[in-house]
This record gives sequence, structure tokens and C-alpha cells, in this order.
Amino acid sequence: MDKKSHPYIPTLLGQLNEGAISRRDFLRRSTLLGLSATAAYAMAGMVDPSTSAKAENLPKGGNLRIGMRCMEIKDPHLADFAEKSNVVRQVCEYLTITDRNNITHPYLLEKWDVSDDLKTWTLHIRKDVKWRKGRPLTADDVVWNLKRVCDPKVGSSMLGLFTGYLVEEFATGEKDDKGNPKKSSRLWSEKAIEKVDDHTVRLNTSSPQIAVAEHLFHYPMFILDPEENGSFGAGANGTGPFEIVEYTVGKGAKYKARTDYWGDGPYVDTFEFVDLGDSPGAGIAAMASKQVDGLSEADAVQINSMKAFPHVAVYKVETTQTIVARMHPDVDQFKDKRVRQAMRHAIDRDKVIQTVLLGAGTPAEDHHVAPSHPEYAALPKYGRDIDKAKKLLADAGFPDGFEYDMVTRPDPIWELNTAQALAEQFKDIGIKVNIKSLPSAQYWEVWTDAPFSLTAWGHRPLAIMTLGLAYRSNAAWNESHFSNAEFDTLLTQAEGILDPKERSKVMAKIESIMQDEGPIVQPFWRIFSTVMDKKVKGFDLHPSQYIFAHNYAVATA
Amino acid sequence: MAIFLAKRLTMMLLTMIAASFLVFAVCEFTPGSVARKSLGPFATQEQVDLLTRKLKADDPLLVRYGRWAGVLLGVIPDPLQDPDTGLNFKDSRGAQYFGNFGYSTLNKLPVNDVIWDRLGNTAILGGLAFLLIVPLSIVFGIFSGLKEGGVLDRVLSIVSITFTSIPEFASGVFLVTLFVILWPVLPGTSPLDTGSGWSIPSQLVLPVAVLVIYDFGYVARMIRVSMIGVMEKPYIRTAVLKGMTTRQVVLGHALRNAMIAPFTVLLLQINFLISGVVVTELVFAYPGFGRLLLDASLFGDIATIEAATLITVAIAVVTQFIGDIGYMLLDPRIRLR
Repeated sequence: MDKKSHPYIPTLLGQLNEGAISRRDFLRRSTLLGLSATAAYAMAGMVDPSTSAKAENLPKGGNLRIGMRCMEIKDPHLADFAEKSNVVRQVCEYLTITDRNNITHPYLLEKWDVSDDLKTWTLHIRKDVKWRKGRPLTADDVVWNLKRVCDPKVGSSMLGLFTGYLVEEFATGEKDDKGNPKKSSRLWSEKAIEKVDDHTVRLNTSSPQIAVAEHLFHYPMFILDPEENGSFGAGANGTGPFEIVEYTVGKGAKYKARTDYWGDGPYVDTFEFVDLGDSPGAGIAAMASKQVDGLSEADAVQINSMKAFPHVAVYKVETTQTIVARMHPDVDQFKDKRVRQAMRHAIDRDKVIQTVLLGAGTPAEDHHVAPSHPEYAALPKYGRDIDKAKKLLADAGFPDGFEYDMVTRPDPIWELNTAQALAEQFKDIGIKVNIKSLPSAQYWEVWTDAPFSLTAWGHRPLAIMTLGLAYRSNAAWNESHFSNAEFDTLLTQAEGILDPKERSKVMAKIESIMQDEGPIVQPFWRIFSTVMDKKVKGFDLHPSQYIFAHNYAVATA
Repeated sequence: MAIFLAKRLTMMLLTMIAASFLVFAVCEFTPGSVARKSLGPFATQEQVDLLTRKLKADDPLLVRYGRWAGVLLGVIPDPLQDPDTGLNFKDSRGAQYFGNFGYSTLNKLPVNDVIWDRLGNTAILGGLAFLLIVPLSIVFGIFSGLKEGGVLDRVLSIVSITFTSIPEFASGVFLVTLFVILWPVLPGTSPLDTGSGWSIPSQLVLPVAVLVIYDFGYVARMIRVSMIGVMEKPYIRTAVLKGMTTRQVVLGHALRNAMIAPFTVLLLQINFLISGVVVTELVFAYPGFGRLLLDASLFGDIATIEAATLITVAIAVVTQFIGDIGYMLLDPRIRLR
């Protein structure tokens, strides 16, 4: 073991050997603390799948075409859909990468070190990385990018992730139209992001944070060329494996492989995204006539129709992508926690999964922590119980139920279908839900303001990431207006606990608070799926729908 | 004649001004702000307000309409291209020229860079469909109308009505199932590039077929009704009694008269084929005008919606104008007035 590795790693190793934690837990935790994946796999007695010899067997050359919506890209640091980040991802890269097994590796970094108190993160940048336009990647580039996403004027969602340890909120002294004091954000200290030398950057955080390396892979956290000041389009500079030669919104993107790429690959000569529009049938038709070699996502219905095609391979991966029907505990109907509990007892999760996802999901437990999250603590399960739900409602003062509007959006279709399935089941306990489906543009205007809405949440490797973003009092994305001092304290405590066993005890408390008085009904975790032509080699489905075209190859015959 | 044309041209202009203002006003009341959509769901209200100010989206409706019209006519430069706004909007044609439709917030390009290619694609699709719809519907209409209630009329009527009743998305799926999946001779989508090995003409077959199937039956029914009316006229009876052959009667006497009413219907199909092909374009992922209009509407890209609507209205009034002239040529009675 490297002398400089984190002092907690021997403890983790001890726990692994005693059987107190799983291999997966050990891998995820030790790599977050800066241990290389190869070393971590070796210590766990496993072979690192990323170093297996598959790369050498991949065929070279050819063109690869993947069907995906191509939306406008204003600024890569503002990417707000996986699709947008996929367009940029082939050109610009991240400091770290979280693989499909949720293990985080260095990417543009050689490695990172963490101080014992988890407050000083030293990022060592690779020295062999060159921008396509020739200049080497330096610490200045990295500092510029990290500082840029922390600027509230830029508007990156990274700001929300960094708030609490790199960024702090402060009152501007001004008041908004409603008379509330206006808040803004800034780095908590001048030294929060610090250049040490040409290839070293140090993050000095205000509080311990274990998930830094995973945050650096949050999808807008691209390392962009400072000279281009956030613009992106054909010819954009990047350190990545491809040059983007054409980009047309609604039509597609075309890429040419770089010959001087620092990493492995790319194997194909050219790569394309083809926009097939919103019609699910177009994806099926394009796969049938081999106009594309794969899709970035295929839902259960599409997969069903394509299963019969002999040239198509189906890929599936379990994710922590989910949807929550969340209520504002400050409105009359949802004020009493018994109403929220009643709504959780009204749901038959298996039935929802069957109707909406055709079985491609696993039941969730109303606390937004998935069994695949390392900090998950198993609590007693409960199923649908109409009598109990009705009694809870009556006790809360609604013996005849009530009527309420639920806001959602029509696209993707599984979201609207979930709204309908849940509304039907709420009806059985006397709650009549009127679905208000808003166009996306309008939906995002009101997503935190609507008292009752259905919101999809993306895959995140650690539950504390989502809990901190969505349920901590006054967090920017706290759409449910949930505020519970005990929950906040426990969450901060969990974020600083390295011992998985200890953390899981705290998580059990957090999860039961969510089940007892939390603001959500959470029906399922989604299984993510897609299709590729069998001639596409090296493809690995990432739970966040990320495409890394330089890892894929096309067999010619 | 000159007065007639002058009147018509003035009406065309007034229609377009009125239509452009109406569309602008309607866009005003659509939900969701462009600024919010551009910045994404996680931007703070502060950033949204800032961009709204930069886009000058909070000016009164009339001010914005006046500005838009001024920019379109080349009277004033487009204020959004001012580098001071920091929006990074650039137009290679400059900021002030006639026909400046402004800047598409969806595509981050001048509307003129986006719209004409898409319109061209749809014109190809619609033009091919039109070339097939006209002869097919005329032939079906004439043969049906020659003998109302005969076996041929019934067969052709059933075919026309059945085809017209199948919505485009359904016939699209049927055709894809038949010719792409069961008997793979055609491509299932039409992105209009040849990277997948399918030629451009092969990509046009299915979308054109869907449009023809959907549309020709309707026009054929119109021609049929008109034909039946004409065939009952005394001058046809006279012609038959004179001993003319059916062919001579139909081509020499009936057809021209029977085409007067359906002529407008045929011209109206041009409008449908330009702006009403959204469904077909969606089913086949065809990069056309209809899909552009749909995306722009969902996004709230007002400049593109305005431009697209104005072009559609222009096409409509021009075809109407052609229709009026066509009437004059077909019907001498109108010429006399």
C-alpha cells in the first residue's frame, strides 16, 4: 500500500476481512479516499475489470451511429440533461469518472489524496494530457473551470453540489419583490480552490465531505478550454478523444477520432449521434433498418418490440433513478404527517412497476435510499394497506378524503404513466388526484413551488448526495419544502462518517424519519435499458445513460 | 384586371400583417419563459431575470412586436446581436437587413440559417406527395363520378374513404411493419443522410406514401362529387346524344367544369403538405419544417415560430391568389366581372 494513502483504509480492509462490509462497499469507499481502483480490487482479491485485456481485442476503424435527441447546448457547465452532456462528453472530459459499478476512478487526474479530516483534497492532474489544439492541460485550466461553476452568474447545477463545503450562501442585503432577503453564493474562502503547482490543485473545504471525487463527475463538471469561455459547438476545443465537426439541433452530431488522444481508444474513425425525434417508433424503425447501431435509451415498450430482431442486443442496468410524488408539508391537506403516511400505504408498488415499467423496476421504500447505495439500511417493509390508510386519513381529519392537483410533465411518457397509476391507487383511499401535465418549459418554472408534484430524480452513486440536494432544509433543490432539524443533523453526521457500519446506523434513523414524516411517496427504482447492434463491441451500459464512444468498436463482418 | 390584382395583393399584405400580430400576441400568453428554458431547471431566479432582461423579453407586447417588425424589414438592427448583451448572437449577414427573422433561442442560430433548409426538405417531401396526389385523385374522382353508385364507384369510394380514415401515425406504423420489418426493403426512418447506406430516394418512399395515402382519397371524393354534378348537366346529355364518345365527353366537356370546385381543394393541399406534415415527420424522424415548428413551439422559441408562421401564411395567401387566377382561367364568367 502507498505510504501516503488515507489512514482509514487499513480499517476498511480489516472490516472487509472480518466480513463486516461487502467487497463492493470496500471498493467504493477506498477508491473515494484516493486508493487506485487497481489497488483496491487487488486488496479485495478481485480483478479490476477495467484492466482486463478486452481493449486489445477490439476491432479498429469504421463509423458508429447512436440514436439520441440532440438538444441545444448553451454552455456545457449548464448541461441539464444526460443527452446534452453526452454530446459534450466525447470532446471534453472530467477530472474523475464513476463507472457502471459505481466505483470512482481518476480520469484527467492521476490520483487524489485526502487529509485525515476529509477537508483537504489534493488533485494531481495527469501530465500527458493535451488539448486538441496542442496546449498541455494545466492546473490553471482546472482552477478556472472549478471557479467558473461556483459563480452564481453562470448558473451551473454544480453550485448546488458544492454548497456546504466549497460554496456558502450569504445575504446580499437586498430584498426581492416579496420582501424576503435576497441570497447569493460565493466560495467560502479565497483559498477554497487553490493552485499548488502546474499540475496540482487543492480543494480546502469548510466541512468534511466524502463524496468530492463523485461530485467531480457530476455531468456538467466538464473541463473546458478557458479561452472558449463556456461556448460549445463544431470545432470546440477539448482534451477528449473526438473532435466535433458538426452539430445541428434536432438533426445530429458528427465526430472525428483524434489520433493523438492521451488515453485508450478511440477505436472507431468517426462517430455520430442521430436525432430521431420524440416518436418512440422512430427508434425501433431505425434499429430495424440498421440506420443506427444503437440507441442511447430504449424503454420497456421499445425493447419488447425489438427483442425479435436477430441483430439487436439488449442491455439493462439497475439504477437509482426514481420518481417521487412529493407534497409540501406546509399546505393544509398535507400538514398532518398521517396524511403523508396514508398516501404511502395506498400504493401497491408491484402493480405500479408492472403497469408503468412492464416490470423493469424494483420497489422503493419512500426514503430515497436504494438497496444498491452503500449506506442503505434495511428497515421493515410494508405493503398496501387500504384500511390502515383510511384510518390514518380519518384520524388526520379527512374521513372522506380530499381532492388535489398533482403537477407533472408529459415527457418522458413513463413519468405521466406513473402519475396515472398513482392517481388510480390514491382514489381507493378517497384522495382524488387531478393530474396537471405541464409542458417541460412551464414545469421547470414551478417544480419547487407546486404543492403536490411528481418529479423524476436521476441516478446518483451515493444516497447522501440526493438526500442533501433534495431534503436538507433550504437546499436549492429542496422541492418538497421538507424541513426537519434532526434529519439535517443526522445527514451532516452521515456525510462525515467513514465507517460504513457506523454510517448505516445513522442512515437507519434518517430512513425512518423519511418513512414516518417525510414528504414523498416513492413507488420504484427504475431499471435502465437500451439496445445496440450486436456488431457494437466494448459497450457497457452506464446507469446514468452516459455514452463513452471511445470505448466502443464496430465489428466489420 | 389590374384593379382585381391590386385588390388581391393589398388583401394579401393585410392578412399577413394581421396574422403576424396575432401569432405574436398568442406567443405572449404561452406558458413558460424562454429564459427559464434556456438556462434549465436548476438556474436561480436571479439568472433567469438577468437573461430575460438581456433578451428584452419583459418589454410590453406592442414594443416587442414593433421591434420585431422593424428588424424584419431591416429598418433597425437586431438589438439581440449587440455584443453588450453578452448573448453571443452573431449573424453572418449582419444585424440589419431585409428579411431578418431574428435569432432562434432554441438553435442558437439566426432563424434564416435554420428555417430554409428545413423548409426545403419539407418542400421535397410535400412536392413529391403532391405530384402523386393530383393525378391519382383526379383519376379516382373521374372514374367514381362517371357512374354514381356503379360497382367501380363503390370500389373506388371504399378505397378512398378507408385510406383517408387511417391516421398518418397508424399508416406509418403499418408501412414500417410491412416494408422495414417483415420485408426489409426500405429504411424505417428518413434522417436524409446517407451515412447508414440507404440512399436519399429510398428514405423518401415511406413518408411520401403515408402522405399520399392520407390525402388523395379526400381530394378524390371532392372531385367525384363535382363530377357527378357535372355529369347530370344538360350540356353533357346533349354531348352524349350528339354521339360523342365517353372519352370525348369527359375530356372535352366534363373535366374542365368538374375541376372548378376541387381546384381550391387541391391548392389547399399545398398548405397542408407544408405545415400539416408534423405527424409524418415525427414518425419518420424527417428533418422538416413541421418538426422544427413543433420543437420551436414546445421550447417557446418565438422568433422561429413567428418566422415559420409568417412563411406558412405567405404560402397560404399565395396559393389562394393562384387559386383566384386559376378560377378566372377555368371559368370565363369570373373573367367578365
